[in-house]
Amino acid sequence: MASDDPGFSAEHEQVMAALIDAILPAGDDGGMPGGAALDLVTHVERSVRQNPMMRPVVEYGLSTIAEIAAKRNPSGIAGLPRAEWAAALREFAANDQFFLPAFLFLVYGGYYQHPRVVTALGLEPRPPHPKGYEMGADDWSLLEPVRGRRRSSSD
Amino acid sequence: MATDWEVRQISDFNFSPNTRGRPEDYPVNDAESPIAVSMFNAVGGSTVLYAAHFPRFHPSDFRVRSRDGVADDWPLDYERLAPWYDVNARMMGVSGLAGDPAYPPKEVPLPPVPLGKLGTTLAKGFNRLGWHWWPSDSAIATQDYEGRGACINAGTCLVGCPQGAKGSTDVTYWPVAVRRGVTVKTRCRVREITVGDDGMVNGAIYFDADGVERRQKAEVVVVACNGIGTPRLLLNSRSRHFPDGLANRSGLVGKNLMFHPYAMVTGVFDEPLEGHKGPTGCCIMSQEFYETDLSRGFVRGYSFEMLRGFGPVYTALWGMTAGKLPWGADHHRAYAELFDRNAGMVVICEDLPEPTNSVTLDPSMTDSNGIPSPKINYKLSENSRRMLDHAVARGKEVLEASGAKSTVAEAPLRLAGWHLMGTARMGNDPRTSVVNSWGRCHDVRNLFIVDGSIFVTAAAVNPTNTIQALTLHIADTMKRNLANLFEAE
Repeated sequence: MASDDPGFSAEHEQVMAALIDAILPAGDDGGMPGGAALDLVTHVERSVRQNPMMRPVVEYGLSTIAEIAAKRNPSGIAGLPRAEWAAALREFAANDQFFLPAFLFLVYGGYYQHPRVVTALGLEPRPPHPKGYEMGADDWSLLEPVRGRRRSSSD
Repeated sequence: MATDWEVRQISDFNFSPNTRGRPEDYPVNDAESPIAVSMFNAVGGSTVLYAAHFPRFHPSDFRVRSRDGVADDWPLDYERLAPWYDVNARMMGVSGLAGDPAYPPKEVPLPPVPLGKLGTTLAKGFNRLGWHWWPSDSAIATQDYEGRGACINAGTCLVGCPQGAKGSTDVTYWPVAVRRGVTVKTRCRVREITVGDDGMVNGAIYFDADGVERRQKAEVVVVACNGIGTPRLLLNSRSRHFPDGLANRSGLVGKNLMFHPYAMVTGVFDEPLEGHKGPTGCCIMSQEFYETDLSRGFVRGYSFEMLRGFGPVYTALWGMTAGKLPWGADHHRAYAELFDRNAGMVVICEDLPEPTNSVTLDPSMTDSNGIPSPKINYKLSENSRRMLDHAVARGKEVLEASGAKSTVAEAPLRLAGWHLMGTARMGNDPRTSVVNSWGRCHDVRNLFIVDGSIFVTAAAVNPTNTIQALTLHIADTMKRNLANLFEAE
């Protein structure tokens, strides 16, 4: 972390972790891991460090969610029943224009490149290069109807 | 290559220089344009990130005024460029299949990129409708070629090709030029081209990699900064001889900016399509609606270019923006319906030149060297809007014919200003054009331009092949006229 980068506060990290878990819960069949299991908080923090213009938007969103949660339960998110937490997020989302699209952008980026998720999707957890992918032979007889057309290049 | 390649495609390898913000990039004020500028600043330029879709112009594209009564004819024709298209196909390593009825016969050195399951699915849809399609001409080596490895279907074309299979000019033309003695000065940025007392250019002032101002003398200057960078440089090169910008006595430097208005139409299918395999932007194309048919409600036409499917990250981001991917309890079910089950196309519409669509200098924005940035002044024409509407409807039709259960369209696509053309147009009349038919500026006979800015019209295909064929034609004409380069007509 750059020395002039204060990072996120402990409270913001707590809200972020809870929010990520709400956005990406574990799959019902156990196939897809939940976001909380993949340390996406670290991914978001790294992304925001690389793009500091996002920090005010992310901090604003996390603070606002924390305030809404505190109104429902003075002890904050930790003591909030699941249904209350969901209602708090719905309340926030109904009035939000900027935070959630930006935050989802960061969270989905981290989640869907994670090796556990890539594996769960049925792909090999590796970059495409240098192994690449095999593709089968093609049936070029599909072109026969097109070959039969009059040349359409005018002139 | 790391596992985060998809995320890097939307961050430090983003198409937009404004988002990327690398030290080499210059910011572009495109805030008021419905189409944002895409480019890459590096050795190899934007070909480092392009899809390498490599169609030629049609013969008709050079005679738009004669045929359709709009825009202008070019001062040269397809036949003049055809031999240079052939040379360029060999230099860039173009793959494809001979016999496309949309074109006159042409040379294609390498076998086509694979259709794959996705391409086959879409090709059957075109056949069901009886529409034209053909494997895309692609500057992608499908076999080992001139020291470049064969394509391994990695699907990472838009963040650069680590295999070297994609024909970006850093692995095609530049190595040849360097072997023949050309010196490349990297991380340098030209501030202005200088003019002598005789009104001829005599060099350039540039900032080197350390930000130190340098001067380079020159007998001949050749500019290749494309449709935004070239007018920016010329307009920044004001002098006693050229108070309104270099080579701008016609007043046309920066005018007639043409993008290709793009649409993206994507379908969601029931079956897996293996869309993450294969060259990202090159599969098959259709030119069923390329030529003018006024019954459609617009003049000129468009191409369809089929894309491969989205990878895991892009599937999520596309699903989110398309309103098809909720967060929370239903997320994984919705995602499973999208991943590896999406396929679609981009539509490339021909843009017509309009003087009000232009590149000017921004009054306050500059790059890191303090050089004024370009400002984009662009409005989508009514003709383009109608063409986009038609194309989206036909795109949905062919996706449904291919088996898509739902479709989503975005038109115009905002971050799709890849093709930058027309801002220093070519012509025979110095009053209505900036350069002549071989790229020499009418106003300055030792200044040449070899990029998309000299296009008279835009056609409805990717321009790189034509930029390069024009450049070969211009270089050959310069070579043949070397003894009297500044006098020859």
